[in-house]
Amino acid sequence: MWTTVFVSGITLGSFYTLVALGFALIFGVTHTFNLAHGELIVLAGYVAYWLWKTSGVSFLFTFPAAVLVALTVCLLLQRLFSRLKEPLELNSIVMSFGVAILLQNGMLFFFSGDYRLIRVPTFNQGLHFKTLYLSYGQLTLLALSLVVIGLLYLLMRHTYLGKALRATIQDREAAALAGINVGGMGLLAFAIGAILIGLAGPLYGSVHYLYPAAGLQATLLAITITIFSGVGRIRGLILGGWILGFAESGAVVLLGASWRELVGAVMLITLLALRPQGILEREK
Amino acid sequence: MVLCKRLWTIVGLLTIILCCTNTATLAATIKIGEINPLSGRLAKQGVEIHQGVAVAVAEVNEAGGLDGQQVEIISRDDQSQPDVAISRAEELCGWKKVLALTGGYVDSLVGPISEVAKKYQIPYVASASLQKELTQRDNPYFFRVSTLQGFVEPLCSMLAEQVHPQRLAILHAATPGSTEFARDLKRCLQSRNSPVMLMEKFRPGTPDFTPLIGKLANMNIEVIISGGFFADHLLLLRQLKENRVSPKAYIGPFGIAYQSFIGEMSDDAEYLYSTCAWNPGITNPGTEAASKDFVERFRSIFHREPNTTNMHGYTSTRAVLAAMQNVLQQEKPLTGPNIRQSLAELDLDLPMERVAFDKHGDPRHYQHLVVQIQKGKFEVVYPPERSTASAIYPMPRWGQRK
Repeated sequence: MWTTVFVSGITLGSFYTLVALGFALIFGVTHTFNLAHGELIVLAGYVAYWLWKTSGVSFLFTFPAAVLVALTVCLLLQRLFSRLKEPLELNSIVMSFGVAILLQNGMLFFFSGDYRLIRVPTFNQGLHFKTLYLSYGQLTLLALSLVVIGLLYLLMRHTYLGKALRATIQDREAAALAGINVGGMGLLAFAIGAILIGLAGPLYGSVHYLYPAAGLQATLLAITITIFSGVGRIRGLILGGWILGFAESGAVVLLGASWRELVGAVMLITLLALRPQGILEREK
Repeated sequence: MVLCKRLWTIVGLLTIILCCTNTATLAATIKIGEINPLSGRLAKQGVEIHQGVAVAVAEVNEAGGLDGQQVEIISRDDQSQPDVAISRAEELCGWKKVLALTGGYVDSLVGPISEVAKKYQIPYVASASLQKELTQRDNPYFFRVSTLQGFVEPLCSMLAEQVHPQRLAILHAATPGSTEFARDLKRCLQSRNSPVMLMEKFRPGTPDFTPLIGKLANMNIEVIISGGFFADHLLLLRQLKENRVSPKAYIGPFGIAYQSFIGEMSDDAEYLYSTCAWNPGITNPGTEAASKDFVERFRSIFHREPNTTNMHGYTSTRAVLAAMQNVLQQEKPLTGPNIRQSLAELDLDLPMERVAFDKHGDPRHYQHLVVQIQKGKFEVVYPPERSTASAIYPMPRWGQRK
């Protein structure tokens, strides 16, 4: 039983992390509170579904198309957000809320309200380690989230570009004074965020399911995990995702399925009260 | 300045003329309102109800309307949100002055609309509503064509009479209708000596059922009854298969008896049980011709096969229109109280059910059939007098399927 909780917690956490990554990066660098984040993931998922269903494209090859669409839409969004005046966070909430409604209705028009699921045959097979069973679907989630986090960590820690991005996250004005092109960093954050959204989309369509209004759930999840980890903390994101995943899975087994969301909410409130800076951030 | 004044005068006159023309055109029609979740999380079901409503109105208008007057349907989208549903109902009842309301999906949206209907004394026949409380509120203007007992009774009887499960689990979504369904079914099963080993609630849209599946496997559950919806079944079944947990029967009363479900699940949909009030091959005995007419009209308008949700929209609207027709035949004015009285006395045979309401506004004859998916088709397996095939129980394990 507990091996199931372990596997479920870790894969669910990895899924949460993938959903949250793009949001956390864009918010950290540009202070844009993108409420349309979930809709962008769902849109990328629909692109993958459409290719998979109509053209018989293998699931793996749907990722480039999903990334391309997410990149195009995100860069258009960046142009919109770059015209916003202060207070940026508040104005971006209003604008992205409008964009979210627009995307939702667009998806409803083009893809209808039907529930869609990308069914990957290999995801039903898996590996056995004594009592532990790991399906290929769960393995893919785990591997992809670890690889993406790892690459992002390397970029942020060991490249000039990453250092510039981190500096912008920490203090935009100081970064600008140090000669960093803050506007350019914003564009870069949107581009990387779009790639992450494009990767999360097809997975969302295969692990979860797609319908036009599904984005709200993904956005809320992304906001929760970002608060868990603290803004700009990439390692904290995966830790936050896993903690939430374990807590939810454990709650189902110990207390019952109806406690799942409550446990997550209690954890979030406790964290906000005790460690508002995030789980990994040191108190200043 | 003078030119500007003249221009405004012309615009004003044109507006008055246009308004008068518009009113004159609308005066010849009978207006009924329809509120459905056409966007938001319930858009799929809302659109399907709306399509059923449209077919009912088209059918009546093609036949010459009500007493020679065409019926005009005014549709509004509640965006799957109760507060929006209230404002749309206020608009239709207070401003648009509709004579009756129809449509509606799930109790959280139907409930608020029914309260507005009561305030304006406008009859409302809901298309899809289950919660018992809604018909216990002493609202004489509220009627509905579905009820929870229509699901519970056939399922409970089938399980107690034919399956006799020793280890049964009921999972249900955290919605009022699904929770009540689970509670009533548990009570019914226990009264018939079928123990319920586990009853668990989950939020619709839960992304991971694996811990719950672990629990089911640990308890060696034979029969899973899931009161989730279409999308929850997609995920729960896929995760059952991934985790190689094979119950002897999987029963999903809501959301499985749809051709689109088989389309999404493909072979994995085989042997699943569900319940069904109507589908193109299953109709209320004696209404085969009406059912065929509905299917053909639906196909000609929407270019696809109708499903049971479409039929719920059609049935509620036909009930409203039949009640209005009766009022007109009695040469009474079409007022809310008259239509309400006519609805209370209605007895109409339709493909989904014989429509007649009890004193609370609940349908007297709404009864589901238990179906099982066999070779990509829905076969009726209970009650025996309506069955088209024998139930396959236990269903083959995932690994044994071709």
